[in-house]
Amino acid sequence: MRPNFLKGIRFTDLTWAGAGPFGTKVFSDFGAEVLKIESMTRPDSVRTAGPFKDGVVGTNRSGYFASRNTGKHSVSLNLKTEEARQIVRDLVAHSDVVCNNFGPGAMDRLGFGYEALRAIKPDIIYLSMPMYGQDGPRAELLGVGMTISAVTSIMWQTAYGPDDPVGPGTHYPDHAANPYHAAFAVLAALAHRRKTGRGMKIDLSQVESTTNFVGPAIVEAAATGRELPQIGNRSRNHAPHNIFRARGDDAWVAIAVTDDAQWRTLTELIGRPDLAADASLSRVAGRLAALARVEEAVAGWAREHDVADIVAALRPHRIAVAQVSSSRDLIENDPQLAHRRYWQHVEHPEVGPVLLSALPFTIDGERVQLERPPLFGEHTEAVLGGLLGFSDERIKALNELGALS
Amino acid sequence: MERPFDDIWVLDMTYDLGRYVGRLFADLGASVTRIEPTGGLPDRQLISSNDPATREPAVYEFEFLNAGKASRTLDLQSAEGRAAFAALARSAEVILLERGGPLYDELDWLRSLSPSIVVTSVSPYGRTGPWADAAATDLTLQAAGGIAWLSGRIDDAPLRLPGSQATMVSGVYAAVATSLALYDAKATGRGHVVDVSAQECIAHSLQNSIQMWDFEKKVSMRGGEGTRDASEDMFACKDGLIFLAAPRSLGVSWNALINWIRETGHPAGEALSEARWADRVWRLTSEAKHILRETLESFTRQYTKEELTQEALKRKIVMGPVSTVLDVLEDPQLRHRQFFESVVLTHLNATARFPGAPYRLSEPVWSVSPVAPLDPTPARS
Repeated sequence: MRPNFLKGIRFTDLTWAGAGPFGTKVFSDFGAEVLKIESMTRPDSVRTAGPFKDGVVGTNRSGYFASRNTGKHSVSLNLKTEEARQIVRDLVAHSDVVCNNFGPGAMDRLGFGYEALRAIKPDIIYLSMPMYGQDGPRAELLGVGMTISAVTSIMWQTAYGPDDPVGPGTHYPDHAANPYHAAFAVLAALAHRRKTGRGMKIDLSQVESTTNFVGPAIVEAAATGRELPQIGNRSRNHAPHNIFRARGDDAWVAIAVTDDAQWRTLTELIGRPDLAADASLSRVAGRLAALARVEEAVAGWAREHDVADIVAALRPHRIAVAQVSSSRDLIENDPQLAHRRYWQHVEHPEVGPVLLSALPFTIDGERVQLERPPLFGEHTEAVLGGLLGFSDERIKALNELGALS
Repeated sequence: MERPFDDIWVLDMTYDLGRYVGRLFADLGASVTRIEPTGGLPDRQLISSNDPATREPAVYEFEFLNAGKASRTLDLQSAEGRAAFAALARSAEVILLERGGPLYDELDWLRSLSPSIVVTSVSPYGRTGPWADAAATDLTLQAAGGIAWLSGRIDDAPLRLPGSQATMVSGVYAAVATSLALYDAKATGRGHVVDVSAQECIAHSLQNSIQMWDFEKKVSMRGGEGTRDASEDMFACKDGLIFLAAPRSLGVSWNALINWIRETGHPAGEALSEARWADRVWRLTSEAKHILRETLESFTRQYTKEELTQEALKRKIVMGPVSTVLDVLEDPQLRHRQFFESVVLTHLNATARFPGAPYRLSEPVWSVSPVAPLDPTPARS
């Protein structure tokens, strides 16, 4: 399906890199007109970061860019020129939402502060999402997604055990917490505007947003005054509960036994009646106390078996088990994702078909069909000539000035 | 005062993966009522346990993820209970379901109660497909969704992210999908069925690893093995760890760091100015990572996290403290912005600080309140 839930809603979208564009993508996927403002004088860093189709670098060849910008329209504007900045103001006058993920103060310096744009469009919804908020002693701290993981404790908590933190392997907050909290806030503001006629300013500090993703840990530490245990793949109240090496090259399986009956079943499946007979292990407290022995039993069995066989043995007994899947496993060998048509191939004029993740839900039993990402500046003339009514001569003159580069 | 969702009533039967959805709506004005069977939904059973080890982590999740919700017991096995539920559903806008919870298998009946209702289901693998009924936990979903693969050291096991991230990730995606469906339902009077798979939500959050395979046939490896710059890591300092990012693509950060070290006269400044540090490919090697760690830590170990952060601010180095959970509660920026909210913990007879709003809105429409007790005696009117 191509949902038109947001037909008639227009975004002037100044976001770039990862978290901002990922948050506005869901709006273009649902039928909003998202005008992505970009310039080659300061290219979107995911256009210039890989991966590139066949490893060949090119403005329109980045897979990362494609995955964050489906269905958007690209309007090239060099914001170093006053002419381009005026065009942004003209677009805002015709927009419902304007959004950015620049550092604090950058929008004001461009003349795009909330009050300035509200003077142009009184009911504008205005989203900013700097890393640490607009004001305060660390507002100017520079960071990437991993910095947000660091200052919110996610990095410290992602640990094999006590004092052995490793941190997430990705810029995790960029890929769910911040884009989707931002999208939810914009949707709330749209709902509010529909009832009240009033727009709203949304100030999303990416650190504050991400801190909610570890909310229960924060509440626990605040209530007890104690640091949380660094437990990694283990559990505070279940055992065995870990990721075990399986037979094969870098093959791993996650197993989570969540009650005592499952433990008895597992001992049978792994051929260890001695453990089933050991009363000290029959309750979880005993298994947690003898964790090394319990885990070694499972590990010894798992490394002699293929992941698929382990999953096939445990799953019918309602024991939680899963292969630790790589990207390739998900794309090529995951029957569940394949059955649900999770993967979409979208045709792209420069790089051919692009593999994209569908939105992770269905609506009325159907997938939201994604549209391809825009080529750089693909829609500039159509937007200036159509929406803003500029003549061909005027567009040509702006181009010669470098305002559209 | 008007609030974005003050005209929305949500009937919430989630107990794990779907709980954050109702929380997000409640904070912006929705009335969210948990409908619980006799004995409570599974998350209430956990916090009612006599075993402190079972109760302990679960109660904080319960308080945080259910904040702002009311709770009501309804026996949905009985005709009276079902009639009472039907009456509620006719005036509700949203129903939230979770696999294993009440009414998950009665989608058609729910839709028949109201043509404009939005019914959102959250489940480990979605409603359809060969794994629709497979048992799952946070750990196995992080494995099946592909994110556990991406963390950890290359010579050790893959590592999951902490603190029920399957619940958090599924929660934000499901909330956005529900809000989109509601926006349309309000405009057209036509309801929707939303089916959210936690595995898919996680698989949707894997940075660029899907495109790395599609375009370059490279499998992204845990710890960024082969792709992550030597500088993008934690380094020891006097009182903990600092996180630095100074790859060649963030040249300003690297140059500012090296200039600072050189200014102090520390020998690491000279060592890190050697030509090989301009070679972005060599910087990906384990040799470079080893040398950078030894060299840089000989410098950073002289300073505290706070001192390093101050220099990062002054010199525009991309560097910040690796905070423990207790550190986050003392973060000077969060304190300055008065981020934390004091909230009563209904099931612990205590008060604790909660993370504040994930977004600040220019109208005072966001607020957090404690989870209400189950079936409070109605006040006399």
